[in-house]
Amino acid sequence: MSATLPKKPPLDKLALRDVIDLSLWAGQLLLQHGAESARIEETVHRLGTGLGADWMDILVSPNAIAVTTVSGEEFRTKIRRVVSIGVNMRAIEQINSMTQRVIVGELDRVAVRREIEQIVRQPRQYTRWASVVMVGLSCAAFSQLFGGDWPVFFTTLVASMLAMFVRQELIRRHFNPLLVVIGTSFVATIFASLASRFQWGEQPQIALASSVLLLVPGVALINSAEDLITGHLVVGIIRGISGGLISLGIAVGILMGIRLMGISGL
Amino acid sequence: MNLLLLFQDAFWSAVAALGFSVLFNVPRRMLAGGMICAAVGHAVRTFLMQAGLDIVPATLVGALMIGFLGIGFGRYWRAPSLIFTLSASVTLVPGVFAYRAMLGILQVSASTDPAVGGPLLVEATTNAIKTALILGAIGVGIIAPRLLFLREKPVV
Repeated sequence: MSATLPKKPPLDKLALRDVIDLSLWAGQLLLQHGAESARIEETVHRLGTGLGADWMDILVSPNAIAVTTVSGEEFRTKIRRVVSIGVNMRAIEQINSMTQRVIVGELDRVAVRREIEQIVRQPRQYTRWASVVMVGLSCAAFSQLFGGDWPVFFTTLVASMLAMFVRQELIRRHFNPLLVVIGTSFVATIFASLASRFQWGEQPQIALASSVLLLVPGVALINSAEDLITGHLVVGIIRGISGGLISLGIAVGILMGIRLMGISGL
Repeated sequence: MNLLLLFQDAFWSAVAALGFSVLFNVPRRMLAGGMICAAVGHAVRTFLMQAGLDIVPATLVGALMIGFLGIGFGRYWRAPSLIFTLSASVTLVPGVFAYRAMLGILQVSASTDPAVGGPLLVEATTNAIKTALILGAIGVGIIAPRLLFLREKPVV
Protein backbone atom coordinates (compact mmCIF):
# COMPACT_ATOMS: atom_id res chain seq x y z
CA MET A 1 0.00 0.00 0.00
CA SER A 2 2.68 2.50 0.97
CA ALA A 3 4.50 1.83 -2.31
CA THR A 4 1.56 3.17 -4.31
CA LEU A 5 1.52 6.50 -2.47
CA PRO A 6 3.12 9.48 -4.20
CA LYS A 7 6.68 9.93 -3.02
CA LYS A 8 7.03 12.48 -0.22
CA PRO A 9 10.29 14.23 0.58
CA PRO A 10 11.94 12.27 3.40
CA LEU A 11 11.81 13.96 6.81
CA ASP A 12 14.99 14.36 8.82
CA LYS A 13 15.24 12.88 12.30
CA LEU A 14 14.12 16.04 14.09
CA ALA A 15 11.08 16.55 11.87
CA LEU A 16 10.18 12.90 12.30
CA ARG A 17 10.37 13.33 16.05
CA ASP A 18 7.98 16.25 15.82
CA VAL A 19 5.52 14.29 13.68
CA ILE A 20 5.40 11.32 16.04
CA ASP A 21 5.20 13.57 19.08
CA LEU A 22 2.22 15.51 17.75
CA SER A 23 0.24 12.60 16.33
CA LEU A 24 0.79 10.52 19.47
CA TRP A 25 -0.28 13.46 21.60
CA ALA A 26 -3.51 13.77 19.64
CA GLY A 27 -4.09 10.03 19.98
CA GLN A 28 -3.50 10.21 23.70
CA LEU A 29 -6.08 12.98 24.07
CA LEU A 30 -8.63 10.99 22.09
CA LEU A 31 -8.10 7.86 24.19
CA GLN A 32 -8.23 9.61 27.53
CA HIS A 33 -11.36 11.55 26.60
CA GLY A 34 -13.36 8.53 25.46
CA ALA A 35 -13.01 8.06 21.69
CA GLU A 36 -13.41 4.63 20.09
CA SER A 37 -10.35 2.70 18.86
CA ALA A 38 -11.08 2.99 15.14
CA ARG A 39 -11.26 6.78 15.41
CA ILE A 40 -7.96 6.93 17.31
CA GLU A 41 -6.16 4.79 14.74
CA GLU A 42 -7.54 6.73 11.82
CA THR A 43 -6.87 10.15 13.33
CA VAL A 44 -3.27 9.36 14.31
CA HIS A 45 -2.61 7.90 10.87
CA ARG A 46 -4.11 10.85 9.02
CA LEU A 47 -2.33 13.38 11.22
CA GLY A 48 1.07 11.71 10.81
CA THR A 49 0.81 11.25 7.06
CA GLY A 50 -0.70 14.74 6.71
CA LEU A 51 2.33 16.19 8.47
CA GLY A 52 4.76 14.52 6.07
CA ALA A 53 5.36 10.94 7.20
CA ASP A 54 5.05 8.15 4.60
CA TRP A 55 3.26 5.73 6.88
CA MET A 56 2.04 5.36 10.46
CA ASP A 57 1.45 2.16 12.42
CA ILE A 58 -0.70 2.51 15.51
CA LEU A 59 -1.35 0.09 18.35
CA VAL A 60 -4.21 1.14 20.62
CA SER A 61 -4.41 -0.65 23.93
CA PRO A 62 -6.78 0.19 26.80
CA ASN A 63 -4.23 2.28 28.69
CA ALA A 64 -1.43 3.02 26.23
CA ILE A 65 -0.79 3.92 22.59
CA ALA A 66 2.23 2.90 20.54
CA VAL A 67 3.00 4.60 17.24
CA THR A 68 5.67 3.98 14.63
CA THR A 69 6.22 6.63 12.00
CA VAL A 70 8.07 5.97 8.78
CA SER A 71 9.62 8.44 6.34
CA GLY A 72 12.07 7.44 3.65
CA GLU A 73 14.77 5.35 5.28
CA GLU A 74 14.05 6.63 8.79
CA PHE A 75 11.58 5.38 11.35
CA ARG A 76 10.76 6.20 14.94
CA THR A 77 8.59 4.47 17.55
CA LYS A 78 7.11 5.89 20.68
CA ILE A 79 4.81 4.55 23.38
CA ARG A 80 2.74 6.67 25.68
CA ARG A 81 0.79 5.58 28.70
CA VAL A 82 -2.75 6.93 28.80
CA VAL A 83 -4.98 7.26 31.83
CA SER A 84 -8.65 7.84 31.16
CA ILE A 85 -9.68 11.13 32.77
CA GLY A 86 -13.34 11.41 31.89
CA VAL A 87 -15.32 12.06 28.76
CA ASN A 88 -14.68 15.30 26.93
CA MET A 89 -16.55 15.53 23.64
CA ARG A 90 -15.32 19.03 22.91
CA ALA A 91 -11.69 17.89 22.81
CA ILE A 92 -12.63 14.99 20.52
CA GLU A 93 -14.50 17.34 18.22
CA GLN A 94 -11.62 19.82 18.12
CA ILE A 95 -9.01 17.17 17.33
CA ASN A 96 -11.33 15.87 14.62
CA SER A 97 -11.62 19.25 12.90
CA MET A 98 -7.91 19.93 13.39
CA THR A 99 -7.15 16.65 11.60
CA GLN A 100 -9.40 17.65 8.70
CA ARG A 101 -7.47 20.91 8.38
CA VAL A 102 -4.16 19.05 8.39
CA ILE A 103 -5.36 16.75 5.62
CA VAL A 104 -6.18 19.66 3.31
CA GLY A 105 -2.82 21.20 4.12
CA GLU A 106 -4.03 24.18 6.15
CA LEU A 107 -1.91 23.45 9.21
CA ASP A 108 1.79 22.66 9.51
CA ARG A 109 3.64 21.16 12.48
CA VAL A 110 4.00 24.44 14.34
CA ALA A 111 0.32 25.24 13.94
CA VAL A 112 -0.71 21.74 15.05
CA ARG A 113 1.39 22.07 18.20
CA ARG A 114 -0.28 25.39 18.96
CA GLU A 115 -3.76 23.88 18.37
CA ILE A 116 -3.14 20.91 20.64
CA GLU A 117 -1.68 23.08 23.38
CA GLN A 118 -4.78 25.24 23.17
CA ILE A 119 -7.06 22.16 23.40
CA VAL A 120 -5.21 20.91 26.48
CA ARG A 121 -5.18 24.27 28.21
CA GLN A 122 -8.81 25.30 27.74
CA PRO A 123 -11.09 24.92 30.77
CA ARG A 124 -14.30 22.90 30.58
CA GLN A 125 -17.21 24.83 29.10
CA TYR A 126 -19.60 24.20 31.95
CA THR A 127 -18.84 25.21 35.53
CA ARG A 128 -19.07 22.56 38.21
CA TRP A 129 -22.32 24.08 39.53
CA ALA A 130 -23.86 24.03 36.08
CA SER A 131 -22.96 20.32 35.92
CA VAL A 132 -24.51 19.69 39.34
CA VAL A 133 -27.79 21.35 38.35
CA MET A 134 -28.00 19.84 34.86
CA VAL A 135 -27.13 16.33 36.01
CA GLY A 136 -29.71 16.62 38.78
CA LEU A 137 -32.34 17.69 36.26
CA SER A 138 -31.30 14.84 34.01
CA CYS A 139 -31.86 12.18 36.69
CA ALA A 140 -35.12 13.85 37.70
CA ALA A 141 -36.19 13.68 34.05
CA PHE A 142 -35.49 9.94 34.18
CA SER A 143 -37.85 9.61 37.14
CA GLN A 144 -40.55 11.16 34.94
CA LEU A 145 -39.76 8.75 32.13
CA PHE A 146 -40.06 5.85 34.58
CA GLY A 147 -43.52 7.07 35.57
CA GLY A 148 -42.78 8.87 38.81
CA ASP A 149 -44.86 11.76 40.14
CA TRP A 150 -43.77 15.23 41.32
CA PRO A 151 -42.68 14.35 44.90
CA VAL A 152 -40.47 11.63 43.38
CA PHE A 153 -39.20 14.13 40.79
CA PHE A 154 -38.00 16.58 43.44
CA THR A 155 -36.56 13.87 45.68
CA THR A 156 -34.57 12.57 42.70
CA LEU A 157 -33.48 16.09 41.77
CA VAL A 158 -32.00 16.81 45.20
CA ALA A 159 -30.56 13.32 45.65
CA SER A 160 -28.69 13.34 42.34
CA MET A 161 -27.50 16.94 42.74
CA LEU A 162 -26.08 15.98 46.11
CA ALA A 163 -24.54 12.87 44.60
CA MET A 164 -22.97 14.83 41.74
CA PHE A 165 -21.45 17.27 44.23
CA VAL A 166 -20.00 14.41 46.29
CA ARG A 167 -18.68 12.79 43.11
CA GLN A 168 -16.84 15.97 42.12
CA GLU A 169 -15.34 16.27 45.60
CA LEU A 170 -14.22 12.63 45.64
CA ILE A 171 -12.65 12.93 42.18
CA ARG A 172 -10.88 16.12 43.26
CA ARG A 173 -9.36 14.24 46.18
CA HIS A 174 -8.05 11.51 43.85
CA PHE A 175 -10.01 8.61 45.24
CA ASN A 176 -9.96 5.34 43.34
CA PRO A 177 -12.54 5.57 40.50
CA LEU A 178 -14.53 2.59 41.74
CA LEU A 179 -14.60 4.00 45.25
CA VAL A 180 -15.93 7.25 43.78
CA VAL A 181 -18.76 5.31 42.12
CA ILE A 182 -19.67 3.45 45.31
CA GLY A 183 -19.56 6.61 47.42
CA THR A 184 -21.65 8.58 44.93
CA SER A 185 -24.30 5.92 44.57
CA PHE A 186 -24.39 5.52 48.37
CA VAL A 187 -25.07 9.23 48.88
CA ALA A 188 -27.74 9.28 46.16
CA THR A 189 -29.45 6.26 47.73
CA ILE A 190 -29.38 7.66 51.27
CA PHE A 191 -31.26 10.77 50.19
CA ALA A 192 -33.57 9.06 47.68
CA SER A 193 -34.62 6.48 50.28
CA LEU A 194 -36.15 9.26 52.35
CA ALA A 195 -38.98 9.14 49.82
CA SER A 196 -39.63 5.48 50.68
CA ARG A 197 -39.16 6.12 54.40
CA PHE A 198 -41.74 8.91 54.55
CA GLN A 199 -43.94 7.75 51.64
CA TRP A 200 -43.41 10.79 49.40
CA GLY A 201 -45.28 10.13 46.19
CA GLU A 202 -46.93 7.04 44.75
CA GLN A 203 -43.90 4.94 43.80
CA PRO A 204 -41.00 6.21 45.93
CA GLN A 205 -38.71 3.39 44.76
CA ILE A 206 -38.48 5.16 41.37
CA ALA A 207 -36.40 7.83 43.11
CA LEU A 208 -33.92 5.13 44.14
CA ALA A 209 -33.57 3.76 40.62
CA SER A 210 -33.29 7.18 38.91
CA SER A 211 -31.02 9.11 41.25
CA VAL A 212 -28.02 6.84 40.59
CA LEU A 213 -28.32 7.09 36.80
CA LEU A 214 -25.71 9.86 36.64
CA LEU A 215 -23.18 7.06 37.13
CA VAL A 216 -24.32 4.91 34.19
CA PRO A 217 -21.15 3.91 32.30
CA GLY A 218 -22.69 4.79 28.95
CA VAL A 219 -19.48 5.75 27.19
CA ALA A 220 -17.60 2.65 28.34
CA LEU A 221 -20.40 0.31 27.22
CA ILE A 222 -21.14 1.95 23.87
CA ASN A 223 -17.44 2.21 23.02
CA SER A 224 -17.02 -1.41 24.08
CA ALA A 225 -19.75 -2.51 21.68
CA GLU A 226 -18.27 -0.38 18.90
CA ASP A 227 -14.73 -1.67 19.43
CA LEU A 228 -15.93 -5.28 19.50
CA ILE A 229 -17.88 -4.82 16.26
CA THR A 230 -15.00 -3.09 14.47
CA GLY A 231 -12.57 -5.83 15.49
CA HIS A 232 -10.65 -4.07 18.27
CA LEU A 233 -11.41 -6.99 20.53
CA VAL A 234 -8.92 -6.44 23.34
CA VAL A 235 -9.86 -2.81 23.93
CA GLY A 236 -13.55 -3.71 23.54
CA ILE A 237 -13.39 -6.45 26.16
CA ILE A 238 -11.51 -4.28 28.63
CA ARG A 239 -13.97 -1.42 28.18
CA GLY A 240 -16.87 -3.83 28.69
CA ILE A 241 -15.31 -5.10 31.90
CA SER A 242 -14.72 -1.61 33.23
CA GLY A 243 -18.34 -0.72 32.41
CA GLY A 244 -19.47 -3.84 34.27
CA LEU A 245 -17.33 -2.97 37.27
CA ILE A 246 -18.83 0.50 37.43
CA SER A 247 -22.34 -1.02 37.32
CA LEU A 248 -21.31 -3.34 40.16
CA GLY A 249 -20.04 -0.33 42.10
CA ILE A 250 -23.42 1.38 41.66
CA ALA A 251 -25.14 -1.74 43.01
CA VAL A 252 -22.85 -1.92 46.04
CA GLY A 253 -23.56 1.74 46.87
CA ILE A 254 -27.33 1.22 46.58
CA LEU A 255 -27.25 -1.89 48.75
CA MET A 256 -25.24 -0.22 51.50
CA GLY A 257 -27.63 2.74 51.36
CA ILE A 258 -30.92 0.84 51.59
CA ARG A 259 -29.59 -1.50 54.29
CA LEU A 260 -28.51 1.48 56.35
CA MET A 261 -31.87 3.22 55.88
CA GLY A 262 -33.72 0.01 56.68
CA ILE A 263 -35.98 -0.10 53.62
CA SER A 264 -36.65 -2.97 51.24
CA GLY A 265 -36.25 -0.78 48.16
CA LEU A 266 -39.15 -2.44 46.35
CA MET B 1 -52.38 6.53 21.42
CA ASN B 2 -51.97 9.56 23.61
CA LEU B 3 -50.19 12.38 21.82
CA LEU B 4 -49.70 14.48 24.94
CA LEU B 5 -48.01 11.60 26.75
CA LEU B 6 -45.72 11.07 23.78
CA PHE B 7 -44.82 14.76 23.76
CA GLN B 8 -44.04 14.68 27.48
CA ASP B 9 -41.91 11.60 26.90
CA ALA B 10 -39.90 13.38 24.22
CA PHE B 11 -39.51 16.46 26.41
CA TRP B 12 -38.16 14.60 29.42
CA SER B 13 -35.77 12.50 27.35
CA ALA B 14 -34.39 15.69 25.81
CA VAL B 15 -33.81 17.08 29.33
CA ALA B 16 -32.12 13.83 30.38
CA ALA B 17 -29.84 13.92 27.33
CA LEU B 18 -28.98 17.58 27.97
CA GLY B 19 -27.68 16.71 31.45
CA PHE B 20 -25.45 13.99 30.07
CA SER B 21 -24.22 16.29 27.29
CA VAL B 22 -23.10 18.74 29.96
CA LEU B 23 -21.40 15.91 31.82
CA PHE B 24 -19.61 14.87 28.61
CA ASN B 25 -18.57 18.47 27.84
CA VAL B 26 -20.34 18.51 24.46
CA PRO B 27 -19.67 21.75 22.53
CA ARG B 28 -22.39 24.29 23.26
CA ARG B 29 -23.50 24.82 19.66
CA MET B 30 -24.09 21.05 19.30
CA LEU B 31 -26.21 20.54 22.43
CA ALA B 32 -29.43 20.63 20.43
CA GLY B 33 -28.32 17.65 18.33
CA GLY B 34 -28.15 15.26 21.25
CA MET B 35 -31.47 16.52 22.62
CA ILE B 36 -33.26 15.96 19.32
CA CYS B 37 -31.72 12.49 18.99
CA ALA B 38 -32.90 11.57 22.47
CA ALA B 39 -36.38 13.03 22.06
CA VAL B 40 -36.99 11.20 18.78
CA GLY B 41 -35.35 7.94 19.84
CA HIS B 42 -37.13 7.65 23.15
CA ALA B 43 -40.49 8.81 21.82
CA VAL B 44 -40.28 6.23 19.03
CA ARG B 45 -39.58 3.53 21.60
CA THR B 46 -42.51 4.63 23.77
CA PHE B 47 -44.80 4.81 20.73
CA LEU B 48 -43.86 1.29 19.62
CA MET B 49 -44.36 -0.05 23.14
CA GLN B 50 -47.80 1.55 23.31
CA ALA B 51 -48.51 -0.10 19.98
CA GLY B 52 -47.81 -3.46 21.60
CA LEU B 53 -44.19 -4.16 20.74
CA ASP B 54 -41.89 -5.65 23.40
CA ILE B 55 -39.36 -3.27 24.97
CA VAL B 56 -36.34 -4.99 23.39
CA PRO B 57 -37.25 -4.60 19.68
CA ALA B 58 -38.74 -1.19 20.48
CA THR B 59 -35.40 -0.14 21.96
CA LEU B 60 -33.60 -1.43 18.89
CA VAL B 61 -35.74 0.75 16.62
CA GLY B 62 -35.34 3.76 18.92
CA ALA B 63 -31.57 3.32 19.01
CA LEU B 64 -31.47 2.97 15.21
CA MET B 65 -33.31 6.29 14.95
CA ILE B 66 -30.70 7.87 17.24
CA GLY B 67 -27.91 6.37 15.13
CA PHE B 68 -29.35 7.65 11.84
CA LEU B 69 -30.05 11.12 13.23
CA GLY B 70 -26.52 11.16 14.69
CA ILE B 71 -25.04 10.62 11.24
CA GLY B 72 -27.20 13.43 9.87
CA PHE B 73 -26.11 15.84 12.59
CA GLY B 74 -22.52 14.68 12.19
CA ARG B 75 -22.65 15.69 8.51
CA TYR B 76 -24.38 18.97 9.32
CA TRP B 77 -21.89 20.05 12.00
CA ARG B 78 -18.94 18.19 10.43
CA ALA B 79 -18.31 16.45 13.75
CA PRO B 80 -18.10 12.85 15.02
CA SER B 81 -21.63 11.42 15.33
CA LEU B 82 -20.60 10.01 18.71
CA ILE B 83 -21.12 13.49 20.19
CA PHE B 84 -24.85 13.26 19.54
CA THR B 85 -25.54 9.56 19.94
CA LEU B 86 -23.79 8.95 23.27
CA SER B 87 -25.83 11.26 25.48
CA ALA B 88 -29.00 10.31 23.60
CA SER B 89 -28.43 6.59 24.04
CA VAL B 90 -28.15 6.97 27.81
CA THR B 91 -31.86 7.84 27.87
CA LEU B 92 -32.69 4.34 26.63
CA VAL B 93 -30.76 2.66 29.47
CA PRO B 94 -33.09 0.28 31.36
CA GLY B 95 -32.50 1.77 34.82
CA VAL B 96 -35.55 0.31 36.51
CA PHE B 97 -35.03 -3.21 35.11
CA ALA B 98 -31.41 -3.21 36.23
CA TYR B 99 -32.42 -1.96 39.65
CA ARG B 100 -35.12 -4.62 40.07
CA ALA B 101 -32.80 -7.37 38.85
CA MET B 102 -30.17 -6.39 41.38
CA LEU B 103 -32.57 -6.23 44.33
CA GLY B 104 -34.30 -9.43 43.20
CA ILE B 105 -31.06 -11.40 43.17
CA LEU B 106 -30.38 -10.18 46.68
CA GLN B 107 -33.83 -11.26 47.87
CA VAL B 108 -33.26 -14.71 46.40
CA SER B 109 -30.02 -15.04 48.31
CA ALA B 110 -31.77 -14.06 51.52
CA SER B 111 -34.77 -16.41 51.15
CA THR B 112 -34.55 -19.83 52.83
CA ASP B 113 -37.82 -21.34 51.57
CA PRO B 114 -37.58 -22.59 47.95
CA ALA B 115 -41.31 -22.04 47.47
CA VAL B 116 -40.73 -18.33 48.08
CA GLY B 117 -37.31 -18.15 46.44
CA GLY B 118 -38.40 -19.84 43.18
CA PRO B 119 -40.74 -17.13 41.87
CA LEU B 120 -38.32 -14.45 43.09
CA LEU B 121 -35.54 -16.07 41.12
CA VAL B 122 -37.67 -16.19 37.97
CA GLU B 123 -38.55 -12.52 38.33
CA ALA B 124 -34.98 -11.44 39.02
CA THR B 125 -33.63 -13.45 36.08
CA THR B 126 -36.29 -12.07 33.74
CA ASN B 127 -35.31 -8.54 34.71
CA ALA B 128 -31.60 -9.30 34.32
CA ILE B 129 -32.13 -10.82 30.86
CA LYS B 130 -34.26 -7.84 29.81
CA THR B 131 -31.54 -5.46 31.01
CA ALA B 132 -28.85 -7.31 29.07
CA LEU B 133 -30.93 -7.52 25.88
CA ILE B 134 -31.90 -3.85 26.03
CA LEU B 135 -28.26 -2.84 26.49
CA GLY B 136 -27.32 -5.00 23.51
CA ALA B 137 -30.09 -3.45 21.42
CA ILE B 138 -28.83 0.04 22.28
CA GLY B 139 -25.28 -0.83 21.27
CA VAL B 140 -26.23 -2.46 17.99
CA GLY B 141 -28.81 0.20 17.15
CA ILE B 142 -26.44 3.12 17.69
CA ILE B 143 -23.59 1.58 15.71
CA ALA B 144 -25.39 -0.14 12.83
CA PRO B 145 -26.19 3.09 10.90
CA ARG B 146 -22.52 4.03 10.91
CA LEU B 147 -21.55 0.62 9.62
CA LEU B 148 -24.09 1.08 6.83
CA PHE B 149 -23.23 4.63 5.81
CA LEU B 150 -19.63 5.35 6.71
CA ARG B 151 -17.82 2.66 4.74
CA GLU B 152 -14.69 4.45 3.63
CA LYS B 153 -11.68 2.39 2.78
CA PRO B 154 -9.71 1.96 5.99
CA VAL B 155 -6.62 4.14 6.08
CA VAL B 156 -4.71 2.08 8.60
